[in-house]
Amino acid sequence: MLKVTGAILAAGLAIATQAMAADAPAEIKVGTLYASSGRYASISMPVYNGLKLWADQKNAEGGVYVKAFDKKIPLKLVSYDDQSNTATAATLYNQLVTQDKVDLLVADSGSVLTAPAVTIARDRKMFLFDQTGTGASFFAKDNPYIALMADPASTVWPKPVADFLIHDGPALGIKKIALLYSTNEFTGTQANAFRQFIKDSGAPIEIVYDQGVPTETTNYTVIINNIANTEPDAVIHFGYAPNDIAFLRNVQDVGTKFNMLFCIYAGLETELLEKNVGAKGLEHVFTYVPPSEAEYPVNFGMNMKEYRAAWNKAYPDGKVEFGFNAVAGYTTGLIVEKTLAVATSLDQLELRRANFSLSGELKTLDGTYALDETGGQIGELTPLGQLELNEHDSDHVKFVSIYPHETATGKPVYPRP
Amino acid sequence: MLIYALVAGVLFGLYFSLVGIGLNLVFGVMRIVNLAHGDFLMLGAFVAFGIVTLAGIDPLFAVPLAFVVFLLVGVLLYWVLVPRLQGSVNPEMLSIILFFGLSQVIEAITTIFSGTSERSIQSRLLGTVFSTIKVKLFGGKPGPAGPVHIFGQGFPAPWVIAAGTSLLAIALVYVYLYRTRMGTLTRAVMSRRDEALATGIDVDRISAAAFGIGLGLAAVAGVFAPFMFGSVTPAFGADATVTSFAIVVLGSLGNPLGTALGGVVYGVCYMMVQTYLSSWADLLPYVLLIFILLLRPSGLLGRRVRVA
Repeated sequence: MLKVTGAILAAGLAIATQAMAADAPAEIKVGTLYASSGRYASISMPVYNGLKLWADQKNAEGGVYVKAFDKKIPLKLVSYDDQSNTATAATLYNQLVTQDKVDLLVADSGSVLTAPAVTIARDRKMFLFDQTGTGASFFAKDNPYIALMADPASTVWPKPVADFLIHDGPALGIKKIALLYSTNEFTGTQANAFRQFIKDSGAPIEIVYDQGVPTETTNYTVIINNIANTEPDAVIHFGYAPNDIAFLRNVQDVGTKFNMLFCIYAGLETELLEKNVGAKGLEHVFTYVPPSEAEYPVNFGMNMKEYRAAWNKAYPDGKVEFGFNAVAGYTTGLIVEKTLAVATSLDQLELRRANFSLSGELKTLDGTYALDETGGQIGELTPLGQLELNEHDSDHVKFVSIYPHETATGKPVYPRP
Repeated sequence: MLIYALVAGVLFGLYFSLVGIGLNLVFGVMRIVNLAHGDFLMLGAFVAFGIVTLAGIDPLFAVPLAFVVFLLVGVLLYWVLVPRLQGSVNPEMLSIILFFGLSQVIEAITTIFSGTSERSIQSRLLGTVFSTIKVKLFGGKPGPAGPVHIFGQGFPAPWVIAAGTSLLAIALVYVYLYRTRMGTLTRAVMSRRDEALATGIDVDRISAAAFGIGLGLAAVAGVFAPFMFGSVTPAFGADATVTSFAIVVLGSLGNPLGTALGGVVYGVCYMMVQTYLSSWADLLPYVLLIFILLLRPSGLLGRRVRVA
């Protein structure tokens, strides 16, 4: 009897294993978009190249481990070019879901090109691996189909710079602030959050200039003159990389000196900004300190030094700069890999459960992966830093971390000489 | 604030006159719509990048180089594309499709060779030839030029140089059109192409020259683009074409000199909107386009084109 039962069990197990192996797909389809041209190309291509580097690396190792099938399965990156156009992006996201039937949906870089994906993912009940789309409106308690992979939500970004101004500003003599921002989800949300932080603090700081400009703005000369007329002690500019390039160049060109100048992409895409603005134009500019400048301890994937070497090997022509976004794309890949290693099926809500289970546990070169209940990233923080000329190489700048004090590596230079 | 915006608007607008004048010349002579105009502008910027990167000299030297190179490119392109286009049933409509395709090809090829990232040239490099001459004549030390002061307020030196170059280019276009035999023939073709053909004018030769000059002027405008717009990418052309159209229609479609006025009006309006309603600044080309089409469809200098 025992022999018969054993034989039946063994046969059942064999059939079940065969069935599982038969169900396992030949490849895991990861669908994503990139912008090879247009306004967002400079933030999209580094992210895409980072993700591609990860996928190529994994495929060279035979694929990624997928717990749902208990085996390694090769990846297929299904990707289309949205050319920085949101209407094109919407069509292509739909195509990825309905025509290509991808297993995992990964958004393009930045809030503008992520926005169409958020709605489509929710409607189609696909879990969205949101790479760097940080717009506050993307994340809601009633939307389980999104999580932010590789940078904090826009509402969290400006906290260090606001805290610095609130706590250290008055002692330094900072009482009047000018706030200039591009009117899009990413920078507009940061401006709103920053304004609220300052107002709620009750600090003796007044916002004397508060204007939004279209994201397509490439000329700031008149705006800089208008800001200078309000005599601010600090100028906070929230814009994308092309905005920062134009803004910082115009500040240099008109010869205006602001005591404190903050820009986002001076820190996030420093190589790009150095090429376009020059190290001298970036000297003493306040900015976010990106993970590429920090050596976060990792428990999964390459560390920053190894990744930088792999990037240089994969993309030796230097056409796409290494920076914050290059790290973000690779980080997304790592999180996708870990999610597949934990999820018991490829059901989208199971992918969500698996992804959220990584919160607080996963440490990548981008910092600690931690999500709030809405899927907003709260782990990979962005300290405030200041750029100084590199004493060994005046064509380049280096970071000095300023705030919070616990992680500071130097003191702020204020006012800007 | 008002005076600063007005002066900045005039400087910026003069540059935009240069951006649009080539497009209008091409339309005026051939009645074809060059949707790749902005892409030739972008290529002009890449000539400047090449001059600075390879030769390490003042990007101003890229102005004559870009003009000559794209004059020749324009003449060649004319003979390849335009006569066939003119022989079609609806050349105006087909030109839109053909030049849109050309625009895409130029952007794609440039992206393959140069990547997608923003590129620019340090502002201090533009006009170094002037400071060198100044030092040679009056002594002193060469150094960065810094801002130019007008009415006691600082404006970027590249703006003033770009505006000066634009004025020179507009003056040369005027001399070409009104003081040379080729110009007289060009105006004859602009006025009545079929009659010009009937009187024995070599319309193709005149048109080829106008097409070449149009592209050459776009490339010259492109040399200054990295200084006027902060940076340039291969995708820069599309936006530049839209703005050029707004300026051309504003001045008067088919009248190259009307573009000069259109550019200044656009520049001043843009700076005023940026000063007082900054969030709306990017709507300006479209708003101006709608207003001018509703109120004065022939453009600000529309009457003159018929007399010319």
